[in-house]
Amino acid sequence: MPVISRLAALWKNLTHHGQTERDLDDEIRGTLDLLVAEKIQAGLTCDEARRIAVIELGGVEQVKEQVRYAKTGALLDSVFQDLRYAARSLRKNPGFAAVAILTLALAIGANTAMFSVVNTVLLRPLPYRSAEQLAMLWTGIPGQTLQGRPAYVTVEAWRRHSKSFADIAVLDPVSVTLTDTDGAEKISVARFSPNLLALLGIQPVQGRSFSDREAEERRRLALISHRFWQTRFGGSDDAIGTSIELDGLPSQIVGILPADFHIPSLDADVWEPYTLFPDWEARRGVRGPGSWFVVGRLQPKVTVDHAQTEMNAVARLLDEELPAAERNRGVTVVPLSLYVVGPKARLALWMLTGAVLCVLLIAAANIASLSLARCVGRTREMAIRAALGAGPGRIVRQLLVESVTLVAISGLVGTLLAVAGIRLIRAFGPLDLARLNEASLDLRVLAWAVAISLLTGILIGLAPASTMLRNTLRLSGQEGGRTVSGGLAIRRIRRTLVVAQFALAIILLAGAGLLVRSWLSVQSVDPGFRSERVLSMQLSTTAFAAPAQRANFYDRVLEQIESLPGVESAGLIGDLFISGGSEQIVTTDGSSGTTSGRLSLRRDEASGRLFTTLGTPLLGGRFFSIDDRPDAPRVAIVNEAMARELWPGSDPVGRRFKLGPGDSAGPWFTVVGVVGNMRRQGLETEPMPQMFEPLAQNPSGLETILVRTSSDDPLTMVATIRAAIGRVEKRAPLYGVTTLADRLGADLAQRRLQTSLLIGFAVVALLMAAIGIYGLIHYAVATRTKEIGIRMAVGAKAGDIFRMIVREGLQLSVMGLMFGLVGALLVGRAGSSLLFGVTATDPLTFTTVSLLLCAVAIAACYFPARRAMKVDPMVALRCE
Amino acid sequence: MPQSTTLLQGTLDLLILKALTSSELHGLGVSRRVHQITNGTFDVQPGSLFPALHRLEEAGWLTSSWGPSETNRRAKYYRLTKAGQKQLVDETTQWNRIALAIAQALKA
Repeated sequence: MPVISRLAALWKNLTHHGQTERDLDDEIRGTLDLLVAEKIQAGLTCDEARRIAVIELGGVEQVKEQVRYAKTGALLDSVFQDLRYAARSLRKNPGFAAVAILTLALAIGANTAMFSVVNTVLLRPLPYRSAEQLAMLWTGIPGQTLQGRPAYVTVEAWRRHSKSFADIAVLDPVSVTLTDTDGAEKISVARFSPNLLALLGIQPVQGRSFSDREAEERRRLALISHRFWQTRFGGSDDAIGTSIELDGLPSQIVGILPADFHIPSLDADVWEPYTLFPDWEARRGVRGPGSWFVVGRLQPKVTVDHAQTEMNAVARLLDEELPAAERNRGVTVVPLSLYVVGPKARLALWMLTGAVLCVLLIAAANIASLSLARCVGRTREMAIRAALGAGPGRIVRQLLVESVTLVAISGLVGTLLAVAGIRLIRAFGPLDLARLNEASLDLRVLAWAVAISLLTGILIGLAPASTMLRNTLRLSGQEGGRTVSGGLAIRRIRRTLVVAQFALAIILLAGAGLLVRSWLSVQSVDPGFRSERVLSMQLSTTAFAAPAQRANFYDRVLEQIESLPGVESAGLIGDLFISGGSEQIVTTDGSSGTTSGRLSLRRDEASGRLFTTLGTPLLGGRFFSIDDRPDAPRVAIVNEAMARELWPGSDPVGRRFKLGPGDSAGPWFTVVGVVGNMRRQGLETEPMPQMFEPLAQNPSGLETILVRTSSDDPLTMVATIRAAIGRVEKRAPLYGVTTLADRLGADLAQRRLQTSLLIGFAVVALLMAAIGIYGLIHYAVATRTKEIGIRMAVGAKAGDIFRMIVREGLQLSVMGLMFGLVGALLVGRAGSSLLFGVTATDPLTFTTVSLLLCAVAIAACYFPARRAMKVDPMVALRCE
Repeated sequence: MPQSTTLLQGTLDLLILKALTSSELHGLGVSRRVHQITNGTFDVQPGSLFPALHRLEEAGWLTSSWGPSETNRRAKYYRLTKAGQKQLVDETTQWNRIALAIAQALKA
């Protein structure tokens, strides 16, 4: 069997290399000897015989080389040979090798770390069964950013009418007070429909979930998250069956959820039936806006687009049956993955990946340029190889193997660096980026590292390979390769590389510049309140159930705090920082009767001195006073946005409005004051309509207390404030103590990270491009000493030479700038959703970075140009 | 006279196998024998012959041994293996079939 025989031969060729070579040599030389003997017998002289025999044979080494080609494993053998040679060449040039390996290792490491983040956050499927079939459903016109949540009847209607979805489930996370022997604390509880777990493909890891019937009966059962189980029950087996107190009522734990179960941004410690809302009976029948998060599983093979079209029709059908004020504005179907990581975060991640790839390309260009410079000294070597029979393909292969070996070593080091980098990211990355803490070096990331290393190696090897191809046939072997054509080609390639480097660098610089300006814009946004020296903390009161008692408690607490020295004022609000509002039907009382409309608004209770504490301006009317008691007519303070929505152009003070349609049983609120807009959803989001009620008229069990202190470090007052509260109620739980300034800072964390990273990449890119152009100009000056000497001899002054060199460098960088600016404009437009307060074509940014680039280029050319200036024409003309 | 460089690789293999049917030869000997059995039509260059010999040996159709040459120097002698004999028969049949087909095509 030829195959087996060949494999045996392959093995022998690889392992008994030396013996094979000796045998071959014997065989061919033996043949030569025979030929010589023949010729001598035919009567020729020794020398003549030898000469003719060699010609007849075709040359001993040539024949041996032909045989080597034909043997099995020849390719492998020659590749090993190339590898050995590459290793030797690297050992002989440790300086070059060190610089190249270090630079590339850092670039490859950064790329791999970045990709591992992208892999975990964007590419890995979500941890549910067939996650690509899952989608969220919102009320709202598709494409608008403000999406609403439906009421339960709407979801039921969707379930009945839609055919695209195999099943639809709901959940709603709420804040609940958990009381146990240690005290009370706020936890998040998700109320969900029983089909949710099956829809996601999740099974409790212990115990069970509740059934439809148990939910109908409103049984107080609960499942707990794995983390909750570990931290509260120490992972013990008797957690199931114990009872926990939620909002004052006991619930029995029946199941424990798996460790890897979580719904990003909708996570909860405790999971209970959806029917356990205190106002469930009323809630289930209400139409219009609601508060449910809706998750649906698409039927197999149904696409999101198809489902969207169907749901549009369903929404229209359902709306026919409703009065105008209660109609939903349509349905939007959003794939779950898009909900978990929103478009902005995705864009930012991809842009950063692109940026770090640019840095790798720039680094590779530098190494390629260095390789090219080394090429010049190797033309003789290559010519000899060609003379010995190496074809152009062989020479190219050898150069590629050299560069791939170099990059492979860098890749290995880079991957190790990436492991460290990933650990850093997991420890210090932004907490709200879903699944970031799962970033790791899995197979796909490794494959990426190998792929970019390979590509980089080939790119780096192509440059010298292509010039060598042109030179191999030139056997003249002129020393140093100063042959004009060879040197010219190399120079041209190196100049192109520099232009490319500058083009990439300017793209990164422009991007960084735009992000910096966005950052500055965000920082200068007026949040609507003054955040300096304000403490924020949360206080809960499960001890008091009756509204009057709660209001009384909070009043006393505020009184105590305000009486402390060092406190300027104290106020109270439900939650200062919010993630969104809820959509409501709002009916206003106008001169022409009542009008109803839909509005997304936020409703909070506020104490009288809240706005003073926060420094929010009063634009009309008054703040709350003690006259606004529970039994007094209901009043409200609205913010400017709400006033503009409901009563555009007129003074809202004194007007009345109600939440719900005109005939609903809710109370009419009279507007007593208008305050300025507060940006409570983050500095970058426009403030939404906000209404505030007096604390006395609607206190809840959990409030945020804000204290304006006179000291610059408000945290020093925490102990005294805690003591003051303790005087009112000994066991009142106080938590989440932070300063407003810190809280605002945390909001900006993601933007700050993006901006810092991009600045870092841009600076590195610029530095490497500067090194690239420095290397090129330096080399150019060194090889053109003669030319410079001639120029000086015919009258050029030192200044002229200096300017000439600098102008050459500037020309290259300006060319790169031109190309890069086009790219930067395109990239800016693609990433415009990440900007704030600047346009994607901001002239100031682009001008600044362009000037910066040119300045750096000039600086890089400065020293070589100075050296050129110092050339002594006499010496230059004499030196060869 | 067509040079052996114009020979297709397959026909060279066939000639080498045929040359070794009756005896054991070293490389130069194979070249002489091929010259002889083709009546001087084909003169195989060492640059093509030796690679072919090594290839055929690796495929298992030839086997080699070392022995003294005419000049008492160590030389490599090749001979057919059983598989090589069978291969020769197969290739001969195939060659005849091809030659017949082409001859018919040219007559038509």
